[in-house]
Amino acid sequence: MKDLVLIAKDFAPIAVEREAQSITRPSLSYWQDAWLRLKTNRRALISLFIVVGLLVFTIAGPWVWTIDPAAQDLDQLSSPPGANRRAIIVTPYLPWSGITADSVPISGQTIGATAEIRLAQPATTQAVRLEWDPVPGATGYRVYRNLYSPAPDGALGLPIGEIYDARRISYEDLLDLRPTRFWYSIVATDELGQEVAEYTTLVVNVIRVVTVDEAISDGLVGPNVVPKLGDEVFVKLHPLGTDYLGRDMLARLMYGARVSLFIGIIAPLFFVLIGILYGSAAGFIGGRVDQFLMRFADFVVALPFLLFMILFKIAFGIGPGESGILPMLVALIVLSWPATARLVRGQILQIREEAYIAASQLLGAKTYYLILRHMIPNTLGVILVTITFAVPTVIFVEAFLSFIGMGVAPPTPSWGSMCNEGIQTMLNHPHELIFPALLISITVLAFNLLGDGLRDALDARMRSRE
Amino acid sequence: MNNLKSGTSDALTRTASTQLIWLGLAATIGFAMLMGLLYWVSSLTGSHTTTLNAIDAESGTVTLLLRTEPPQLDSTRATDSVSISVLGHVMEGLLRFDENNQLAPGVAERWEIREDGATFWLRPDARWSDGVPVTAHDFVFAWRTAISPATASEYAFILYPVKNGESINSGNLPVEALGVRAVNNQTLEVEFEQPLAYFEELVAFSTYHPIREDFYHSREGRYGADVDDLLYNGPFEMTLWVHGAHVRLEKNPDYWGRERIRLNVIDMPYFTTDATSALNLFKDGKVAVVDYLGAEQLNEVLQQRWQLKRFGDGSVWFLAFNFSPDRITSNWHLRKALQLVTDPSELVNRVIKLPGNLPGESLFPVWLQGVNTFFRQEHPVPKIELNLEAAREHLEIAMEELGLDNPPSIALLVDDSPGAAKQAEYFQNLYGSQLGLDIRIDRQIFKQRLAKMQNQDFDLAVYGWGPDFADPLTFGELFASWNPNNNGRFNNTEYDESVRLAQSSLNPQTRMEAFARQQEILIEEVALIPNYERGRVYITDRRLQGVVRRAVGPDPDYTNAFISSD
Repeated sequence: MKDLVLIAKDFAPIAVEREAQSITRPSLSYWQDAWLRLKTNRRALISLFIVVGLLVFTIAGPWVWTIDPAAQDLDQLSSPPGANRRAIIVTPYLPWSGITADSVPISGQTIGATAEIRLAQPATTQAVRLEWDPVPGATGYRVYRNLYSPAPDGALGLPIGEIYDARRISYEDLLDLRPTRFWYSIVATDELGQEVAEYTTLVVNVIRVVTVDEAISDGLVGPNVVPKLGDEVFVKLHPLGTDYLGRDMLARLMYGARVSLFIGIIAPLFFVLIGILYGSAAGFIGGRVDQFLMRFADFVVALPFLLFMILFKIAFGIGPGESGILPMLVALIVLSWPATARLVRGQILQIREEAYIAASQLLGAKTYYLILRHMIPNTLGVILVTITFAVPTVIFVEAFLSFIGMGVAPPTPSWGSMCNEGIQTMLNHPHELIFPALLISITVLAFNLLGDGLRDALDARMRSRE
Repeated sequence: MNNLKSGTSDALTRTASTQLIWLGLAATIGFAMLMGLLYWVSSLTGSHTTTLNAIDAESGTVTLLLRTEPPQLDSTRATDSVSISVLGHVMEGLLRFDENNQLAPGVAERWEIREDGATFWLRPDARWSDGVPVTAHDFVFAWRTAISPATASEYAFILYPVKNGESINSGNLPVEALGVRAVNNQTLEVEFEQPLAYFEELVAFSTYHPIREDFYHSREGRYGADVDDLLYNGPFEMTLWVHGAHVRLEKNPDYWGRERIRLNVIDMPYFTTDATSALNLFKDGKVAVVDYLGAEQLNEVLQQRWQLKRFGDGSVWFLAFNFSPDRITSNWHLRKALQLVTDPSELVNRVIKLPGNLPGESLFPVWLQGVNTFFRQEHPVPKIELNLEAAREHLEIAMEELGLDNPPSIALLVDDSPGAAKQAEYFQNLYGSQLGLDIRIDRQIFKQRLAKMQNQDFDLAVYGWGPDFADPLTFGELFASWNPNNNGRFNNTEYDESVRLAQSSLNPQTRMEAFARQQEILIEEVALIPNYERGRVYITDRRLQGVVRRAVGPDPDYTNAFISSD
């Protein structure tokens, strides 16, 4: 073993590291700290971006997408997003007198089907004009239209026309024409007006057309271009499709968001504010006053919302067909605050008894300091949870009331009324329901997650756990 | 420190979300099991009708659904189409409609209509369901009950053509003064108030059905309220009536024409107004007919390759105006402006989109018979060309006459059905974009809409009128100044005179010319804007044949229906 040799250096004192006591990070205010914690919460941050995005969509959207949400494009009813917009320019629609045969051959045999169905002119979304050969012995014809082939079981489809004159051998179909394929069938009727068993079918591909005037007025061609017959153009663009009256879904969603978000944000803000003031007053003062205030809150809870909504509507002098948004807002604010008030009162009662409040008071803190510094920050979590849940609830209330005719008046859209309209066409045109429903869901989810994140960020007790 | 914190937070979140997923999974499975259990329980206790097929050829049973339950089946007070349809199966009047929609002998074997009255000879083998013969006294009693002010029947007016009918109904004469008399058990004598061209049509109507006096009194005001509170003389009798749930009709063995009737049981265990649930019942083979389909159901029907049929229900739908002097719609130029921009064809083909509706042109629908052929073929409707320029000029004049600076705001009254809302929004946009009018849509539930119309609380209203009998008069009368259903209070002396003439004349030529004049006046005065003549599409099981649909009388009618073998 080697001998341990000590030299003088080994006995020198260790330098004292004073740095250990210094503060390495700048002092943070309550809100700065909250913001830092919120930033680390990815879900809350994404939700925040979504909420901001929705506000931009709502407020700035209509400036960018300037389509009138009430304008009806009857050439594009319930068209889904990404529909084929190709159209051919044609002359305006002219009435057609049809074809009437001079006579119908009389036959002793059983009545059959017509030999052939022809198109009197190319089938377009303006009109499909059919003509056929008279059927001997017939008393009239029935015209059917199907989206599928009638063979093999003779499912002829929609009964679109009845003709009570055997000499009348043409039919003009105008009903709900779309650029698609139709199977037209003609059946003759006998003396009793009953259909015979045989039928003839013609497959027709309908092409989308617009007239010259429409092409110019809708701006489908360039400003200096004179549209020619037969030119191919693209009809008006609706990025999210159209609804059952041909109204642009994107524009309606933007305007609908205004109503939904307006109610959904303003009403909770106001009734939560009233609830905080009322609840903290009751909780802080306590005693008889508290008892009286809270019994009054109980009384307000018992008031039926719908009845008051109707009463307000009458009191405001809102006639039929006028927007009921203002009375709805007032009714929501007047009747929804007690829940917040109760929560806040409970919190205040609890915090009032905490040791740090007593300590603070002993150190000479004034009432306003106690409230601002200790009470309100400690109730913020509860308040934000209330707002979080109030926003989606109120959006749904608005949707419901718009449905029963107490909310927005047509043609003003709201997400709720759009959903209710979309439900009726859900199976055939799902996009009319999916888009507003999706927006409601996203909004509700975003507000919930954001509220969650805010509560975590603002909650003083969570901070003490660090 | 910061890292550590976020690390625990992530870990916490992860366990929390795993827990949440498990919880959600467990809840879903639990819920599914609960539903399965409930379904199993309900299948144990549920009625056996749900397992039956829509058509049972062996027992001759057809299962159907009703829109709603009949409120009651007292023929003197029935007004709704469901009651009238059920009454058409269990009761029979002097005349009935046959399988070709023609009038045929009912309780009356033969009859004679004169200028001042009519005589009906009743068949001896017509019987009530308790075996007692139907006599002329039963008709006298029923008609007196229906016209009596004490009954307050909404359809009392349909008996006004019988002598003293109107005076009795307004309480000026006793019911015994009614111009109907039983000469003997088999002979019924009727006196008319004035010559009448369409009495045969009337006696087939349900208000003219017979009621037996001793039975009526024995029910002590409950006549027609339940299955035991009715006596039947029709092809079917009601054997089951569970209120709100189930109605069953069975073939009446005492009916004189029982050989004609081929169905044994008509079972109606479902009441629903919802087209989607009705279609689902049809899909599951639970019902044989669905007779109200919306445009939204059509694609599915095409996909399933079900057989669609169409019939016109006879009704005419139009925009009605309020002619009260304090309303702006009393201004002719304003109405004319609206008329000049309204295209019923666009409404029918682009907005309503249901096949079978015809674009409206007149108050008188196309199916009405004239002298030799259809009334509308003999008297075509004066053509209205759409003209935006002229419409705007008329609106200018209207605003000047009304002293308005801006285009006025107009209340449009509609009921709360989805279809009505769609139409209302179409009109709102049409009149808004073309004429700059502000249309306020007033959506009300059906009853409230009727009440508002009766109180003249509207400017414009979407209105429909169905026929009570197959004569143009049932439409023409609607705009007579004295008609309580003339809600807009249209008042035109020449029109009234023309209606009076059509009511009292027996000459078909004179009458049809009167109706043609009425048609012209309505268009010149813009008393209404025709929208459409309603057609309905319905689907039936291919095996069920002989179902009769009609515009006038009980509809749908299964009395002649049968089940085909294949």
